[in-house]
Amino acid sequence: MKLSRSVFWLIPLAALALPLFVNQYHQYVVNLILVYVVVGVGFNIVVGNLGQLAFSNVAFFGIGAYASGILTTQLGIPWWLTVIPAGVAGAIAGCAASIPALRGVRLFYLAIMTLAFGELMRWSYIRTPSLTGGSMGLTVPPPELFGWVLETETHKFYVFIVIVVVLVVAVSRILESRIGRAFLSIKNDERAAAAMAVPTGRYFVLAFALSGFVVGVGGAMYAALVGHLSPESFDLVQLILHFAIIMVGGLGSLVGSILGATLITATPELFRDWPGFEELMFGVVIVLVILFLPRGLASLLARVHPIFKDRYLRED
Amino acid sequence: MALLEVSGASVRFGGLTAVNEVSFEAEPGEVRALIGPNGAGKTTLFKAIAGEEPLSAGAIRFQGEPVHALTPHEISARGVRRTFQNGGLFGELTALENILAGLHTRIPSSFGGLLLGTRAARAAEKNGTRQARALLEMMGIPHVADQWARDLSGGQQRMVEIVRALATDPPLLLLDEPAVGLAPPAREELMKIIRRLVEEENIAVILIEHAIEFVMTVCDTLMVLNNGELIAEGPPEEVRQNREVLEAYLGR
Repeated sequence: MKLSRSVFWLIPLAALALPLFVNQYHQYVVNLILVYVVVGVGFNIVVGNLGQLAFSNVAFFGIGAYASGILTTQLGIPWWLTVIPAGVAGAIAGCAASIPALRGVRLFYLAIMTLAFGELMRWSYIRTPSLTGGSMGLTVPPPELFGWVLETETHKFYVFIVIVVVLVVAVSRILESRIGRAFLSIKNDERAAAAMAVPTGRYFVLAFALSGFVVGVGGAMYAALVGHLSPESFDLVQLILHFAIIMVGGLGSLVGSILGATLITATPELFRDWPGFEELMFGVVIVLVILFLPRGLASLLARVHPIFKDRYLRED
Repeated sequence: MALLEVSGASVRFGGLTAVNEVSFEAEPGEVRALIGPNGAGKTTLFKAIAGEEPLSAGAIRFQGEPVHALTPHEISARGVRRTFQNGGLFGELTALENILAGLHTRIPSSFGGLLLGTRAARAAEKNGTRQARALLEMMGIPHVADQWARDLSGGQQRMVEIVRALATDPPLLLLDEPAVGLAPPAREELMKIIRRLVEEENIAVILIEHAIEFVMTVCDTLMVLNNGELIAEGPPEEVRQNREVLEAYLGR
């Protein structure tokens, strides 16, 4: 059957009816999944598409979250007006995080340097209590949209789904263009990319900034969702979560980021009633997927119908 | 004014001189072959021309302008394109996307335009794709367009890499061992393509090659590098008789 990619629009449209069927707790979990879809989409740009072992993602996430939180609490700016500034803050952090890579740092050296960036940011949140509330954390009021307070999870859901659709469409447009090809050519062979007149340095900055923007917006969503930001939320465990999302979903795949975020976020919540079991199942899911679907969940979906095949997802 | 002027170019790594005061000129419409024993500095000289290796002394001019201080992507953008000794293709991209990557500078879609999905950006991408397909067709390999580059045979990969390097009609093409690993019929085919390009498109080709019979038939000018020094340059038959060359390279 010939299907056009426009059928993908049915997914968010169908999702609009979701609040009719779920309670507020499940709605919260769905909202959390949407936050992590954004995080996964952003992280995948640098790791899956540009092919760099850069772990500055939690820094972008935290900076976006705190930017949104600080702007709402300290300056009284309504939440919806903080979403883009949070993205911009993430993008600036992205530019900063690309500096070691521009200096030629690669692989494990880049990994440890970007990891340090995340830890440095966590230290900064603790050391600037006047802005961030320090280790006590920062309580963020319920988000506001055009003077309308998003009190319930359902309200947040409708706003989040719009943000997710906008970001996924925007990122897919970039990745399926000459810019996305430039990212992938750098991932495959930097030297050959430069020989094709691709200004590699500029694309490093662009990929990190774009990633930072997307993940920064995810941070603002996170701030609105949980209502309380504390430095421990942005630690290495958070990074493992981000990394698991893109690995389980499929490196470099947009569809994969969505699937990975869903599975990785939902799994612990499904086993919430069995204490101790949630962490175990989290690990089991990762091991099973990596063992049987080394290209991630996206490769499974690609077998169902070619329409799901990400252009850049190599089949096994 | 020659298309490419290499004058007194030297590349030193610490105490080792890989390329020692090499001077030559390349003109449009000629094939130059660069031969020499392993470690003679052939690939290093290529890297220097492509901007991947800085010169320790001397100068390289392309179309009259000095290029030796530019970065590889700037030199490539000016029209010096190269292929690699091994593995220059982007394996995760299809053959078609590899050509599109070669056309990077010719696809005028901007970040903002792509983000908003403007008609101009979409048209630019579409045009690029059409152009890339036409190139594959012209070189007789349209059937590989949608295959992953890493799944192609050695000969097909070589062809795709050459098409990719040629995509922007560069005035100068550097081929690093283009015939290696090719079966004799494929070599024959490659030779014809190189000759055709040089004669019809009036470009200059410099190639490094070990297969001496391939070199003798394809090139107009033969250059021999030994220990980083250019020891002979001229028509292939003449260079072949050169005593110094016979001693250094052919070991006689």
